[in-house]
Amino acid sequence: MKRSRLVQPLTISLALLVGLVGVFTLGNPSFLSAYNVSTILNAVAILLAVGLGQVCVILTGGIDLSVGSIMSLVSVVLMMTVGRLGYGAYPLVALIGLFSGLLNGLIVSKLKIPSFIATLGTQGVLVSIAYLLSAGPLTAAEDAYGVLDFVNGHLGPIQATWIISAVMLALYYAMQRFMPLGRQIIYIGANERMSWLAGLDIDRARILAFAFSGFGAAVAGIVLSATLFSGYPTMGLPYVLNSIAVVVVGGTAMTGGAGGVLNTVVGAVIMGVIQNGLTVIGVDVYGQQVFLGILVIIAVAVTFDRSKVAIIK
Amino acid sequence: MGEPVLRLRGIVKRFPGVVALRGIDFEVRPHEILGLVGENGAGKSTLMKILVGLERPDEGEIVLRGRPVVLDGPETAIRHGIGMVFQEGCMIPNLSVLDNLFLCHEDGFTRFGLLSPRAMAERAREQLAVVGLTDLDPRQQMSELSPARKQMVEVARLLWLSELYQAQNPTLILDEPTTVLQEGEVRILFSLLAKLRERASIVFISHRLEEVVQHTDRVYVLKDGEHVGTLERPAPDAPAPEVPGVVRLMVGHELSAEHYRESMQTEPGQEVVLRARGLRKTGAFRDFSLDLHAGEIVGLVGLLGSGKEEVCRCLTGAERPDGGSIEVRGQRVRFASPKDAIAVGVGCVPIDRRSDGLATTLDVADNVNLLVLRRLLAGPFLSPRRERESAEHWVRECLIKAPSLRTPCGNLSGGNQQKLVIAKWLAAQVQVLILDHPTRGIDVGAKDEIYARIRTLAASGMSLLIMCDTLEEDIGLSNRLVVMKDGAIVREIACAPRRKPPPVEVVSYVV
Amino acid sequence: MSPFPSTAPGAPPARHPSEKGGDSSAADAREGRPSALRAALRPALQFVSRGIYGQIVALALVFAIFAVGTGGGYLSLRNVLTILSLAGIPMIVCLGIHLVIIIGAMDLSTEGVISLCAVICGFLIKNSFTHYDIGFWVLPVSVAIGALAGLVSGVLSTAARMPSFIATLGIWWVAQGLSVVVGRGNSVKMLDPRFQTITNGDTLGLPNTILIALVFFAGLWVMQRRTRFGRYMYAMGGDEALARQAGIKVARVKVLVFTLTGAIYGFAALLLSARLAATNPRIGNGQLFPSMTAVAVGGISLSGGVGGALNAVFGALIVVALNDGMVLMKISPYVQNAVNGIVLILAVALTIDRRKIGIIK
Repeated sequence: MKRSRLVQPLTISLALLVGLVGVFTLGNPSFLSAYNVSTILNAVAILLAVGLGQVCVILTGGIDLSVGSIMSLVSVVLMMTVGRLGYGAYPLVALIGLFSGLLNGLIVSKLKIPSFIATLGTQGVLVSIAYLLSAGPLTAAEDAYGVLDFVNGHLGPIQATWIISAVMLALYYAMQRFMPLGRQIIYIGANERMSWLAGLDIDRARILAFAFSGFGAAVAGIVLSATLFSGYPTMGLPYVLNSIAVVVVGGTAMTGGAGGVLNTVVGAVIMGVIQNGLTVIGVDVYGQQVFLGILVIIAVAVTFDRSKVAIIK
Repeated sequence: MGEPVLRLRGIVKRFPGVVALRGIDFEVRPHEILGLVGENGAGKSTLMKILVGLERPDEGEIVLRGRPVVLDGPETAIRHGIGMVFQEGCMIPNLSVLDNLFLCHEDGFTRFGLLSPRAMAERAREQLAVVGLTDLDPRQQMSELSPARKQMVEVARLLWLSELYQAQNPTLILDEPTTVLQEGEVRILFSLLAKLRERASIVFISHRLEEVVQHTDRVYVLKDGEHVGTLERPAPDAPAPEVPGVVRLMVGHELSAEHYRESMQTEPGQEVVLRARGLRKTGAFRDFSLDLHAGEIVGLVGLLGSGKEEVCRCLTGAERPDGGSIEVRGQRVRFASPKDAIAVGVGCVPIDRRSDGLATTLDVADNVNLLVLRRLLAGPFLSPRRERESAEHWVRECLIKAPSLRTPCGNLSGGNQQKLVIAKWLAAQVQVLILDHPTRGIDVGAKDEIYARIRTLAASGMSLLIMCDTLEEDIGLSNRLVVMKDGAIVREIACAPRRKPPPVEVVSYVV
Repeated sequence: MSPFPSTAPGAPPARHPSEKGGDSSAADAREGRPSALRAALRPALQFVSRGIYGQIVALALVFAIFAVGTGGGYLSLRNVLTILSLAGIPMIVCLGIHLVIIIGAMDLSTEGVISLCAVICGFLIKNSFTHYDIGFWVLPVSVAIGALAGLVSGVLSTAARMPSFIATLGIWWVAQGLSVVVGRGNSVKMLDPRFQTITNGDTLGLPNTILIALVFFAGLWVMQRRTRFGRYMYAMGGDEALARQAGIKVARVKVLVFTLTGAIYGFAALLLSARLAATNPRIGNGQLFPSMTAVAVGGISLSGGVGGALNAVFGALIVVALNDGMVLMKISPYVQNAVNGIVLILAVALTIDRRKIGIIK
């Protein structure tokens, strides 16, 4: 008998989260200090936005390797335009993300090639555009700091990044749980052939899933570049792997069709805690990379639905 | 004719919910061609899988040349000289003929660790000549060969392997070899088999009974997992057994009328819901015309390759016909994909429910509501309450036994899964439902419920096109039978209650 | 004369149309995904997927375009030699990756593994950082590290039954992290001039790196054509289930292929650092993308079983010639990424067998 895959990985992930917090707090009691928790939540905002996007594509059974380059391009464009356009720069870069995602979706569904190849290809294109706009790092003009407070500011004790996280979460949760599109994405991931026979518009759902991924990456890019007051063409690079890690560590299966937004929230918090915790107990950023690589392998090994593919290549 | 090469005794094989073989005795004698026949689901393929080690019997023993053996895989089977030419072929398409011939057994052709293509080609030509492929270049890629040639290359490989392992009188099993062949090729195949019997025994499986009785020494008949008789030809020049005799064994006696709830059978209405005119698809079927009335159950009958599967795919939009027209309630329609068919109320319960009918990892509610998400909206959002109500309604309506609406439907039994697929289409309120083998692989009780369901649907005015596992089922359930053979409709037979045609009569049109 | 008629192009269709491995239109129809575009492209598709004629044409086209674009300068002997010397290392990497792709798997660990090998080698050759100097013994060490990484990928994808592209993605990450942890982020100068002489030198007028690449090509070509192992690789790429049924030890072949690919990465890593006379933990960056493009452009189908070492060689040549041409035409180097990306997408769209895609949709 197959066990329910909708619940169990989430339980494992939550247990992992509690365990990690415990270990890090023992390693350094200041781990749970208000200041550190707030730092973690800021990092989580970026991971969550890009992870929520990535999970839409992974639920269809695909993968989006271009999220990092979308973040990079967004960071460059935001820094270039925020001085001139003010708040108008935000919708502009959000649209860039959305359109990059749409393009990915169109390539995957119309040319019918594997998504990891298609997005590897568009990643090259997007990075090129970012380099052409600015080969070097850009920093925000000081008079734009006010506009960037949209991300860096706070409402009383509540940081703006937390609000962004909450809004993104609400948006993606509503899409996944309460809109037909969200169901269709899951149907495709669970059984694409059945979905086609049942008359679902597979191409449309898949293209929109990639668009949601692009939008999530754009928001992540905004938060990342605004908090650092800079942008450059390789800025988002680490987030390709980070976003996949967020998704799979949360217990969403790479085979698609199982998992979702709530899993991704847990995944993002776990990732934020791990990155912060390893730093707090003195592991440098590259040691963290090794740790996370192994964690991803384990997470995929646990959640991968082997019954769905006869031959694993 | 001497001691049997291969003898099976008391073979029993059970699958969850079904007993595929119920104590079979089976033997293959030296240098004979043995025909194996039976309806779909009679147990032929299970028996063959046991012979080549792809399945292990639950009971019984396999005796090979007087010694009991355990066959745990095709590898072992071929070492003992038992090989099978599969219907779908098991040659690797991107390799050359000679690579395929010797795959995994290249030891004789290496020098200093390198293969010698010349030695391999030479040996390949010799081996191909044995099966009559003298003009085939062994360097040709497998995928470029015609189906007939692919089969013969497989035979050549099996013969070469049995030679390699010094198996005397190997047994070759051919599964439906003639379905992919053209008229002329079939004749050549049989003349070749007649020659090959000098060095091997051949088990020949086919739905084409004329071929079987003409070209075999014995015909072994399976029905419902039991051996129901063997028709023997006393001498090679004696007249072949009669086809109707074989058919009688295959389909057996008629079941009581109430098995298929004939008392619930209703007269169809006058209105034509689905009308097909001159539908054709090159290489599959031609000139297919059908009027499906409201409340009518039409059984589509024919052998594998008769074109009935393709007809159904065209009627549900899964395939596009090359010509002809389809009308639904008088409106001309064109189906580019199943989406278009569903839009005008044509649905299909597929034969393979796990791969085509359900998302097994998703729960019962998600599967039932798949087609009707739009109806469950409150504003732009799905209403969880309506979702639950819709799912509850159809689960109750279709008597689906599930622990909860949140149970992944992969955990349900086959019968409940099938009821779930039907519920999904009922929720969508289709007017035409095509049922492709609706009772495949489900237990007796669930079968009975599905028969009853089919009856009530027809009584409520829905039109149904069915293709069943057995002829009895088709005859028992339908108002009318449409018989297809080699891509064309050959006969329509009325099936009024209590005046059903005997299966033997129907079979005579089918083959 | 054989009694069986061979399939001539105009032969009538068999009675039963749903035969396996028939023409792709029948298969499309069965999949229920009719596509006029693909039907129109089929002749081109077959041309590209058979042999290397398509690749020769593509290479000639690249040369012709840039010859016109640069007013002939592109065709000068000096530039052709430049292309060859630039092509050597990518060609070796590509020859490594293509082995994995032929069995129908995927390897994304390239960059991390190359960086890790290079960093460790940097410390073991006479260098500016440590006092070790093991001379040419560094070669087997580098190859062994690469092979070990490949072995882990192979074991993960067979014993742990993970899709190879995700297992190797993890290994990429782990190896990349390790290379920084080991190297402490430093750039290390290599002080043994012999390595530089070899990688930057010529023999008989040809750059040494391309000669080394050709040696690799010859070895792999013979392996693919004339050894059992090579044939098994193709069998697995063609149909893994049938290959297993025929008796091939599928898991063993897969692990061996990943290990071999890793070993080749190890070799390439050493050449790469010798060419720069320095190593750093980012040295492998930018290796995967062009190699993947080269594999696809070379006509090696990502669905496995089609194409060989010769395709890898030509694929690498085309990609390098393309990038070199853009440099000569003074096109911004940043555009190269975009061109590679588009070429990758188009090449895969032309060569992939959509009936065989298993996991990533």
